[in-house]
Amino acid sequence: MTNREIRFMQSVFAYGVLVAWLPMAQAEMQSLAESDMAAISGQGGITMEMDLGVTADSISYFDDGNGIYLENFRIGSASTPGGEAHHVIKLDIDEDASLNLDYLVEDRRIEFGDIRLAGAPGVSMGGIFFDHSVEGGLKISPGGALGGNGFTFDSAFTMTGGRLGYRTNGNEVFLDDITLDVEALGVTLDVSGGAVLLEAPSVVGSYSVGAIRYSNNPLNHGNSNDVTTGQLLASYGSLSGDFDLSSHTEIRAGGRDGVQGLRVDNQTTINSANFIYRDDGNALALLGITGSYVINDLRLDITQDWQGRNALGFTLGSLSGDININRIEMGGNGKSIGQLNVSFLFEDHVFNGRSYTNAVYLQGGGHQDAGTQGLRLATEWSLSQADLSYTDNGNGVVFSGLQSWGHGDVTINVTRAGNIGTTEFFDGIRIGFDDLEAGYRMNGLRVGDEDAPLQGGTELLLAMGVYPAYDFKVDGHITLGAGGASGEGLTINSDIQIRDGHAALISAPYDEGTGEIPQKGLWASDLNYDIHVRDMTVDVTDDGFAVIKGEAWSTMDIGNLRIGDKDSGGSFGRFVVQNYEKGSSMTIVPGGAGNLCVGGSGADAIACGASGGRWEMRGDEGITIKMKQVFAKAVSDTRKNAFTWETNRELGGDGQPVNDTGMKVVLNDIYTGDGGDIDGDGIDDNTFGIQTDLSVDVYQTRVVKKSDGPDSAGVVGNRGDEIIMDASTAAGYRYVASPTSADIDSRPLGFAVQARAQFKELSINNVDLVHPVGGAQTAIYGAKLQNFDIRANLTATPIQ
Amino acid sequence: MTRFLRTVIGHAMALSAGLVLVSGVHAEMSRLEDGDLASVSGQGGIYLSGDVSINELGGPVQNSYFGSCSDTAKKCGARLAYQLKENGGWMVLDDIRGKFSFEGLTLKVRDIDSGFGGDGELFNRDVLEIGLPNIVRFDSVEFKVATSSTARPTDPGFQQTDIFSIQMQGDVMLEGNLLVFPTGSP
Repeated sequence: MTNREIRFMQSVFAYGVLVAWLPMAQAEMQSLAESDMAAISGQGGITMEMDLGVTADSISYFDDGNGIYLENFRIGSASTPGGEAHHVIKLDIDEDASLNLDYLVEDRRIEFGDIRLAGAPGVSMGGIFFDHSVEGGLKISPGGALGGNGFTFDSAFTMTGGRLGYRTNGNEVFLDDITLDVEALGVTLDVSGGAVLLEAPSVVGSYSVGAIRYSNNPLNHGNSNDVTTGQLLASYGSLSGDFDLSSHTEIRAGGRDGVQGLRVDNQTTINSANFIYRDDGNALALLGITGSYVINDLRLDITQDWQGRNALGFTLGSLSGDININRIEMGGNGKSIGQLNVSFLFEDHVFNGRSYTNAVYLQGGGHQDAGTQGLRLATEWSLSQADLSYTDNGNGVVFSGLQSWGHGDVTINVTRAGNIGTTEFFDGIRIGFDDLEAGYRMNGLRVGDEDAPLQGGTELLLAMGVYPAYDFKVDGHITLGAGGASGEGLTINSDIQIRDGHAALISAPYDEGTGEIPQKGLWASDLNYDIHVRDMTVDVTDDGFAVIKGEAWSTMDIGNLRIGDKDSGGSFGRFVVQNYEKGSSMTIVPGGAGNLCVGGSGADAIACGASGGRWEMRGDEGITIKMKQVFAKAVSDTRKNAFTWETNRELGGDGQPVNDTGMKVVLNDIYTGDGGDIDGDGIDDNTFGIQTDLSVDVYQTRVVKKSDGPDSAGVVGNRGDEIIMDASTAAGYRYVASPTSADIDSRPLGFAVQARAQFKELSINNVDLVHPVGGAQTAIYGAKLQNFDIRANLTATPIQ
Repeated sequence: MTRFLRTVIGHAMALSAGLVLVSGVHAEMSRLEDGDLASVSGQGGIYLSGDVSINELGGPVQNSYFGSCSDTAKKCGARLAYQLKENGGWMVLDDIRGKFSFEGLTLKVRDIDSGFGGDGELFNRDVLEIGLPNIVRFDSVEFKVATSSTARPTDPGFQQTDIFSIQMQGDVMLEGNLLVFPTGSP
């Protein structure tokens, strides 16, 4: 970059910052040279008042000959169509030649009706609008962090009545009633080494969003109430929070492709932050957020994606960071699940023999049936390393070596319910997946901190419905509608088709310290999984986080359940699990088991000990999951609960077993019930389902040696000895025959689960044996299980 | 994955393991010294301990047949009925109750390519290793084997004949490892 270019860029950037803090004042203000300002002293200042209305058919930006067009640009009144926004600007110059601006902007809307890319006719990204009133001040002083050629900015403003919306095909989603307070002092702007340097030592602020609203009425445009019915538009909930940041940013010319474009490098420290989501007043709060992240070599180009489609491309060199959340609270009682920490590194990496990078290519269109407006994100990601640490009452577990990768298209549309073409749409924000290939895996657990030895045990996540490793191709959508079971919240409709998947039920490490190796495990391989959800509501309630399923059905077809390698390991055969539920629910409640008696009974330590039990105080943090699963009677071949195991299949031309050519055992039409027609309506009732309560804590567990002699780490002990953690030993633990109280306090950590499952009735209509030629023969003409109440206290510890 | 799916897969695994054991050919039980694991690649898995009780105080159904365990006129255990013949009678396991405790049940995937007197090298495969707990404690475990005219004890025309009862109390020694692996055509 030449000195002339740098000076030009400096001027442009300073001008841009001025414009950012003093939106649209540039229409009336004349730029002042620094020498002019130096000569001015004791001026009384200038006050400007104006009512501004600006329209432009198109604003274009070109990068290496590729263009992007911001169409139907408008600045004017937010509340009056065609009206103007009122501005009051006071300008003053201090004795040190600093420029002071006080500004008041009322009822302004800035809007792009559409965003198009050259070479992509007929489709667009949709429109964006931003409403606000803002009052604040900006002081621009000569001299930056590196000397007199730069600038220093001191700014503070308050924005009220804000609205930020995204609109496609007449439907829109917007943040309503935004309030934002920001104070940024001592922000410096310099040019050095061909880069614009922006140093922000302190950016402090707070914000609130009164509601996140959805409209499917094309007549609405940034209205809180529907203009046709007068009703308040449905809301996903509200947001609030605060932040204290400091950052260093470098901006250079030159994109990833060609000679034009933009490069951004950034380092940000989160000194403190809080984020609160509220649903009808009930909070999901992430409190005490601290950390930092580094963006390295982020490039912006108008370019083409890997399929040659014109796009606005964001490509990333790397992104690394470490974020800590001190408390995660849910519901009205202020209880916390615990503490969460995540460290991550996004950078180029090879997974399964294929190289992945981090890039997003924005394109117009969205789903092809949803209309001409929408977003299509040709996306690739590569999370090469992450550690996820969860701490419950001071006891920490690290899910170590988390990696993730993916490649494919994600579409985003704001849709309204109805069928268009062959596609069924629902009210809400539709996130679509179009031939997306993705996966993740974990290396193991570390108990205590990230420096502890790597252990197994990631399969403990199965209790939370998470596989330790999973790769797949996926198509389908998740549509997030506004409004929950009552009032604010989410309503989810979804259709997902997973193909060629591999899901680990048990997994060994992919790297034992000597480099990556094929991950061994028990795999649901050759997996095809169709999942459908209708009218599932998600709410934060006074108790916690509540999910109520309207209707859900799925077919999980495991082509081969393999042991060892996910592609070549020995197969137990094919398993097909069909699921059909109506009225099921789940509530996640902060807090685990609390105080309890394990192995005995009693309400306190003395009574528990007297009964032969062990009194445990697991603290006030942890997670309790309350589930009710109502398995419905079959209504069709695809909507029923059934289980099929097929083996001895014939081999096809490719040497792979051919489905439906072997012997099967089929447990057909499994459903729950209340034990009869209790309400006398002539139909057996089915409301109780299977009710399961799981309280999970990270807690110390008793682990005993199972045989005499040295173990795998060479530590010697006798059968029945307890493992006691001891950092002073080489292995980090020792065996003790009779643990002292101090030893007991150093028992290894694991997951402690208090569980209770109960159901009134579970029926299996028939169990058939199916021969590929002879057909089905019924072996059991019905089975009925009644009146079960199963309680368990389990501890699960990773094996060292 | 829903709990139902996990449960069914869990049942599938148990069924698979059970069938393999029934064959008497493809599963082996042998005690392994911990030191043997030093040569095993793919360390991982979990160690489970705890206790499980069934209908310790009774079940969720309250009607003319089922009730609280403090009500001696009613049964408070769980019930399983199954029908082997179309329109026939029902085999029943009734009044199922009790508590099981165990310590040190392990679950992992293991690559066997050595040991076992040289057989391991020839075997050279991955297996699902279920490390059996040394002791399983049965506390007042009981159930009745019966036949019934109907699936539910509240159905019209219900008649039941209790054939015998089983009660279990005490410790069962379960040592060694259960190795489960597939064979034959999948």
